[in-house]
Amino acid sequence: MRRLGLRARVSAGFAIGALLLSASMALVSYELTRRSLLDERERTAVRAAYFDAAVVRTGLDTEAPDVVEVLRSLDTGGNRRPLLHRGDDWYGRTADTGLTAAIPVELQRLVRDGEPAVQRVRVNGQPTLLVGLPLAPSTSYYELTSLRELDQTLRVLALALTAVAIVVAGSGAALGWYATRHSLRPLTAVADAAQEIAAGNFSARLATTTDPDLTRLSTSFNHMVDQLSQRIERDRRFAADVSHELRSPLQTLSAAASVLARRRDHLDERTATAAGLVADEITRFEQLVNDLIQLARGDQPIDRAPVDVAALARRACQARGLPDTLVRADRGGADRWLVDERRVEQILANLVDNAIRHAGGPVAVRLSQRDGTGVVEVDDEGPGVPPRDREAIFDRFVRGRAAHSRAGGDGTGLGLAIVAQHAAAHRGRAGVGDRPGGGARFRVELPGVLP
Amino acid sequence: MTGVLVIEDDDRIRLALLLALEDEGYRVRGAGTAEEGLLMQRREPADNVLVDLMLPGLDGFECIRRLRRDDDVPIVVVSARDDTHDIVAALEAGADDYVVKPVAIKELSARLRALRRRARATHDPVQVLTFGRLEISPDAGEVRRAGRPVPVTRTEFRLLCELAEHAGRVLSRQQLLQRVWGYDTGDERLVDVHVGRLRQKIEDDPGNPRHLVTLRGLGYKLTR
Repeated sequence: MRRLGLRARVSAGFAIGALLLSASMALVSYELTRRSLLDERERTAVRAAYFDAAVVRTGLDTEAPDVVEVLRSLDTGGNRRPLLHRGDDWYGRTADTGLTAAIPVELQRLVRDGEPAVQRVRVNGQPTLLVGLPLAPSTSYYELTSLRELDQTLRVLALALTAVAIVVAGSGAALGWYATRHSLRPLTAVADAAQEIAAGNFSARLATTTDPDLTRLSTSFNHMVDQLSQRIERDRRFAADVSHELRSPLQTLSAAASVLARRRDHLDERTATAAGLVADEITRFEQLVNDLIQLARGDQPIDRAPVDVAALARRACQARGLPDTLVRADRGGADRWLVDERRVEQILANLVDNAIRHAGGPVAVRLSQRDGTGVVEVDDEGPGVPPRDREAIFDRFVRGRAAHSRAGGDGTGLGLAIVAQHAAAHRGRAGVGDRPGGGARFRVELPGVLP
Repeated sequence: MTGVLVIEDDDRIRLALLLALEDEGYRVRGAGTAEEGLLMQRREPADNVLVDLMLPGLDGFECIRRLRRDDDVPIVVVSARDDTHDIVAALEAGADDYVVKPVAIKELSARLRALRRRARATHDPVQVLTFGRLEISPDAGEVRRAGRPVPVTRTEFRLLCELAEHAGRVLSRQQLLQRVWGYDTGDERLVDVHVGRLRQKIEDDPGNPRHLVTLRGLGYKLTR
């Protein structure tokens, strides 16, 4: 399961806390109210029962008393119902059924033995308070007081308290959500600034704040960005300086080597061989310097514009003495891709050079397009790339095994790393697989080529 | 023999270029500063000038501007810097071409040859091509706007003639690079900056060109 976000967790915590608090408050107050109401009611009922019992006793204190008439003379209202147990007979005001059955035997015995008793019972499903009072050795007076009203009151109270608890819990959650929004606002600002910086805007900073809790965050964040942009600027300048400092002596070497090459015929064999070696290595060194500069600049933002990639591919082939019929552009897609022209030019050049160097030349350069992603594929009929090397060949200074064993590889070992970097700059990727029918198929995906 | 002036502050590079270009059949002179180079060019004009951008005293950009003020000699920048900013600034200052060090001597020689070429004589028997108030005489090497001569460099003139010959038709940047600068594949910014420079000279409102128009993604064309 996905972990909940900080805000959701804090809000849930607030809600649970509020619910626990309000629920226990509600329970306690319900219980206290219930008890005090019941006690109150019980006291009233008992008082009334004693009074009624006194009336009944007086009424029975005549000869041949009419028990039912005595009971009827009681002013009991609608809530109290008297019962008289005399000898083995039960007397009531009306033919109340089930009343006598509701009086527990235990209680009857207690009252008969001369002990007044109070008990809560259910009569016909109604909560009722039963008060039993001894009148004479064989006469017991009972009074049943209905607690229905009280019960209803308590039910309404319970409902109200539950509703309050739920509302309080909801308010807790809302409070948590609101509070976290405020307390997380600095984090959102940090995230926004970081995103902007990652996109290349090094002037993005956090607004300075007077809040003592946040000052440290904003100052240290801004300090970090300052340091970072300084370092990047220093690196950029260093790369520019290095490229300048390396290229200048190379110009001397290159021009001097061409002077030597022109006089090759006048040199003795040993000197001519040495001069040839120098010239070859100068060429390789030039290539290496150019590739290193390319790599050093690879993290610069890309400059997308509509580019006729098929024409670029044809030019890349022509420049290497290959027929431009190798280029097969998918007819379905758009003619122009939104890409960084220089980078794509280099991707094509490096893939074609790679095929020439390791596989005797490309047999096809294919351009296609699917869902806005431009795909460049360069096929060769060489030995292919074994699966375990397919990741590593895109690393820097890795050359084909065949080239290694020949020990005379003229590549810089950076060509495919540059391809991968340029692909990544377009948020795409570079890879290699098997070509159906033998050989390798290098594939570069460049997303976002449609406007 | 074609004369080349090399303005380069690095003694070793200057010497090596001098030796190698002499092998290619040029008569080469070297200058270590922009001031010295400007003086030499004024006294005894060379047919081509090679300029480095990082020079002590006057920098390469200013050197190009002053050379351009005097004449239309083809200027090639030979610099180790290849920032877009530097390239565009050097071309806007008036350079005809830009190569990044290290450049092979054969390549450099080819660049110089391409820039020295004269505009081809048109097959059109009409000697003057007219575009509104603009008149181009390919054979005379003249451009006039409203009867007044417009000073253009040799490269600008060749570019204009190329577009005028194909009046009303689009030429892609690569086609122009090939025909004017002799590149098989080259830097399209060369074309863009030269077109910009030409517009400054031949258009009434360079920001809103009437004759030398851009067709986005396709190239340029000259219209009447």
